[in-house]
Amino acid sequence: MTAPLRALRSGRLRALAGKEFRQIFRDRRLVLSLTVAPVVQLLLFGSVLNANVSNVSLGVVDESRTPESRELVADLTQSQAFRLGGYYVSAGRLGDALGRGAVDAGVVIPYDFARDLVRGRPATVQFLLNATNVNTAQISRAYAQGVIQAYDAGLAAQGLHAAFTQIAATPVSGRGTIQLDPAFLFNPALESSWFVTTGIFGMLMILNGTIISSTVMLREREFGTIEQLLMSPASTAEIMLAKFVPVSLLLSAMALGALGLMRLAFGVPVHGSLVVVLGGAVLCLLAGVGLGTMLATFTQSAAQAFLMVLFINPPLVSLSGALMPVEAMPKWLQPLTVLNPIYHFARIARGALIKGAGFEALWPNFLALLAFTTALVALSVWRFRRQLG
Amino acid sequence: MGRTLAQARKELTQLVRDRLSLVLALALPVGLLLLLGRAFSLSVADVPIVVQDLDASTASQGLIDAFRASRTFHVVSWPPDRQPDQALASNAARAALIIPPHFGRDVARGVPSPVQLQADGTDANTAKLVSGDAAEVVAAYNARTAGAGHPAPVQAAIRLWYNPGESPQKFYGPGIFVMAVSIFPALLATLAMAKEGEQQTILQVYVSSVSASEFLLGKILAFMAVALAETVILVGLLVTTFGVGFAGDPTPFLAATVLYAFCVAAFGTMVGAAIPNQAAAMQAVAFGGFLLVLLLSGLLFPIANIPAGLRWISNVVWGRYYIEVVRDALLQGGGWAAMWDKVLIIGAIGAVFYAAAWRTMRRMQVRA
Repeated sequence: MTAPLRALRSGRLRALAGKEFRQIFRDRRLVLSLTVAPVVQLLLFGSVLNANVSNVSLGVVDESRTPESRELVADLTQSQAFRLGGYYVSAGRLGDALGRGAVDAGVVIPYDFARDLVRGRPATVQFLLNATNVNTAQISRAYAQGVIQAYDAGLAAQGLHAAFTQIAATPVSGRGTIQLDPAFLFNPALESSWFVTTGIFGMLMILNGTIISSTVMLREREFGTIEQLLMSPASTAEIMLAKFVPVSLLLSAMALGALGLMRLAFGVPVHGSLVVVLGGAVLCLLAGVGLGTMLATFTQSAAQAFLMVLFINPPLVSLSGALMPVEAMPKWLQPLTVLNPIYHFARIARGALIKGAGFEALWPNFLALLAFTTALVALSVWRFRRQLG
Repeated sequence: MGRTLAQARKELTQLVRDRLSLVLALALPVGLLLLLGRAFSLSVADVPIVVQDLDASTASQGLIDAFRASRTFHVVSWPPDRQPDQALASNAARAALIIPPHFGRDVARGVPSPVQLQADGTDANTAKLVSGDAAEVVAAYNARTAGAGHPAPVQAAIRLWYNPGESPQKFYGPGIFVMAVSIFPALLATLAMAKEGEQQTILQVYVSSVSASEFLLGKILAFMAVALAETVILVGLLVTTFGVGFAGDPTPFLAATVLYAFCVAAFGTMVGAAIPNQAAAMQAVAFGGFLLVLLLSGLLFPIANIPAGLRWISNVVWGRYYIEVVRDALLQGGGWAAMWDKVLIIGAIGAVFYAAAWRTMRRMQVRA
C-alpha cells in the first residue's frame, strides 16, 4: 500500500482525478445517468409499483331483492375495497362480464337469503373472484370475509327481527370467540412506496454504479489513449485510484440526492441513524463500482459493457427482495438472495430508515456488504492492473 | 419485394454470425422467463411469526397450533423475556402474536377474548396479507370450537375463477414473456441500425438502388422473425412448465403476436435510425422496452394503482395491450369479442413507429 500513499503526496493523483472529473462532466450520457436517471427511476418506481388493492369493481346479482340484501350490497360497495361495477340479472351474465374483464369480482345473493335469515337459518352468499392476479384475489377475499363478518355482527346488534338476534348471538353455553386485533408497526398507514423506494435505492447504486464505472474504465481503451497514460510518469496504482475516486464521490452525491428525494417525495421517515444508512450506501456503491470495473476488464466497448449489464441486471434485481418480498420466492431461490448486495443494502435501508434499527441489529448485513465490496474491488483492481501492465 | 427479402436475409446472416447477438436473441429470453417468471410473486408462504403466550393454557396452545398448521405462517421461537417487537425490528419475524393473560379463562367463560397481532408494516402488501390470513386462521378456529350447532348467520362461499390454484406463475409468466419479446428483438434491431449509422455503411445503402421503405421493411422483417422464434420457444415453455394453456380461441393471440412482432422491430429500428450510437441507442431501448413495459403496462401491479398523473402514459405503452391479449388467451379465454380493439391498437402503434423510422431515414438521406 505504499504506492497509493506516495501518490497522494505527489499531486499527480490530484491532476489525474481532476482530468477524470472533467471527462465525466463532458460526457452527456454519463451526466444524465448520474442525475436524471436516478430521479426518474425513483419517482417512477416509487409511485407506480403499488400493490395496493382498492376499488375492485364488483358485479352484483341480487336475486333476493329485499332490504336485507340491499344492505349487504351497500356494506360491500361502501367499503374502500369494492366499488359497484353494475347489476346483473343472472349468475351466467355475471360470469360473462367477469370473463370480458368488465368486472373483477362478483357477488350472488340467493333468492331465499332474507327468508332464511328471518327463519334463523344460515344463508350463503357466493363470491366470484377473478384470480388471474393472485395478489388482488387474495386481498379481495380477505376484504369480502371482513365485510361479511361485520354484517353478521351488525345483525345481532340491530335486532330487526328476533330471529336475527337469536342466530347471530354467541352461544350462551359455548366458548367465547377470539377477536384478533391487528396492529401495523413501523408503518401504520401502510404506505407501499416506502418498501419499493428503499429497494430501488440499492438497485440504483449497483446498476448506475456499474454502468458509470465501466464506461469510465473503458474510455481510455476505446479512444486508444491508454498508451499515453502508461507512458506518463504515473504508476498503474495512481491511474486506477484516479479513476476510482471521482466515480465514487459522484455516486455518493447521487446517493445523498436519492435519500433527500425519498424523504421529500414519498415521506420515507428517518427513524434510525443516518450514519448507518450512508455507511451502507457507500459500501453498496463501492460494490457497484467494483462490479463495473470487473465488467470493463471483460469487454472492449461501452456498448458491450452495457450488454453485459443487461445479462446481470435481471437476476440481481429479481433475487434481491427489492421489489417483492423474499418469502414469496420459491424455496430453492431464497438462499441465493444472501449473495446479493442489493438484498443486504435493502435490509440496512429499511432497518435504519423505517424501523429505527441500529448497527447492533444490522451488522450481519454490513459484514456481508463489506465482504462483497472488498472481494469485487480487489478482484477488479488485480485484473485491471494485469491488463494495463 | 425481392430486395426486401434479400435485406432481411443479410440481417439474419449477420445475426447468426455474431455469437453474442445469438445468445441475446435466444438464450437470454429463456433465462429471463425461467428466473423472473418464478421469482416474481407477492404470495408469501412460511412467514416467520413469533408468539408471546402470556397465558400458557390449553386454549392458548390450541390457538398457536392453529397458526402452526397454516401454510402462511411458520412459528419461530423467541425468548419470553424479550419484547416481541424486537423480533420485527431485527428481521427475525414478520409478525408477532400476543396472547394476553387470562385468555384461557375468558374463553371458557364465554367472554369475547382479544388477542393482538403485530405485523411489520415496512412491506405494506405483505402486512395486509399476513393480517388477512391471521384473521382467517382465527375465524376457522372460532368456527371449530363453537361447534356445529352455531354457524355464522351469513357465510361467504368464495370461488376463484381462471386460476383456481392461485398460482402466481400463471399471472407473471405470460407478463415476463411479453417483456422478453419487447426488449430483445427491439435491442437487436437497434444495434443493427445504429451500427449502420456508426460505421457509415448506411451511405452504401443510400447510393444503392434500395429504397428507404425496402431497406426498413427488410430489417423489420428479419427482427420480426427473431421475435416470432422467441414467441414459439417461450410460449412452449409457458405451456410445458408454467401450467397455462390456450383457453378458447387462439386466433386473436396469433394476429396480435404478428402485429406485436412488427411493432417491437419497428420501435428498435426507429430508435437505431434516430440515435446513430450503439451504447446510447441501447440505453434508449432499455428505457422504452424495459422500464415502460415493466412499470406502465400492468405487468406487475394493476394499472388502476398508478397515480392519475402518470396513468395516461400507459395508454400508449404498446406492451400493455399485448399483455392483455396474452393473459386473455392463456387464462380467461374472452376471444375476439373482448380483444379486437387491443389487436387494432397494437397494429396502429406499430404503424406509427414505422412511419417515424421512415421519416428519419428520408431526412438523413437528404442530408447525406
